[in-house]
Amino acid sequence: MSDELQLIAAAKAGSADAFADLVRGYRERLLRFLLTRCASMADAEDALQDTLIASYKYLHTYDPRWRFSTWLYRIAIRNAAKLRGPDLVEIGDLRDEENGPLQQCIADSESENLWVTARQLLSDEVFAAMWLRYAEDMSVNDISKALDRSQSWTKVNLMRGRRALETKLNSAAERAYG
Amino acid sequence: MDKLADRLRDDAARIDVSISDELDHRIEASLRAVTPEVEPPVRQPARSPLFWWASTITGVAAALAVIALVNMQAPEETQIAPPAAIVSVPQMIDINAESVMLTAPLQQELENLQSDLKKAEEKVKRDIGL
Repeated sequence: MSDELQLIAAAKAGSADAFADLVRGYRERLLRFLLTRCASMADAEDALQDTLIASYKYLHTYDPRWRFSTWLYRIAIRNAAKLRGPDLVEIGDLRDEENGPLQQCIADSESENLWVTARQLLSDEVFAAMWLRYAEDMSVNDISKALDRSQSWTKVNLMRGRRALETKLNSAAERAYG
Repeated sequence: MDKLADRLRDDAARIDVSISDELDHRIEASLRAVTPEVEPPVRQPARSPLFWWASTITGVAAALAVIALVNMQAPEETQIAPPAAIVSVPQMIDINAESVMLTAPLQQELENLQSDLKKAEEKVKRDIGL
């Protein structure tokens, strides 16, 4: 039995320490992801806390056939959506924020961070699919499970997301070189 | 991996986040306050599979017994039908029989009728060559 499965078994038995060890490696990755979906760092931290509590509380529903990270991301996506709510903050508000939480956490660089561009160009779900594929290196199958979408939807939208980013990059390059 | 994928991965790593001590304490405290829900026990069937097999076999046997009983009684019912056809034969004979005047007492009339019937039977037998 792997370490992760042993920790899951101990956490299911009620060990909060085992669960804390289990999710320690995922916390920063989840926070980074949630930051792209929340209006502020405080919201992202709240969403992270809610995600971890919910995953501990409902750990008995975890199916070991899934990767644990896929299951965690699925809960995180739902929590972020719940926290934001349809009427609280529009996606456009997140996209237009120049000093938004994502921008504040990006280290200075000569080139613009492509995820900021992706946030402006792509819908919520396509952005999440792109993030899980390229930042988390998840398989199409895992992404479709995390987003509760079909594999064909995931493949098509990953392709669309890539195409939108490539088009944007190409037009930026054309402008730069006249 | 292609260039775009490499850049996306690098740019994701450039998003600098860390779990603050305050958030760490907050998460640990909230986890300790939560009791994980326990998986509901799987309900055992009230009766053993043997019981269901026994009831199924009993039911099938009872059904077969009823079917067999019904099939055994059926031929007797069909044998009742032919006498109706025989009853119609005297009516044919009556057409050629002599009419009887009902003037004597009933016993005498019955004897006359039986005698007439006998005569008619003999006549029919002669006609058909028996």
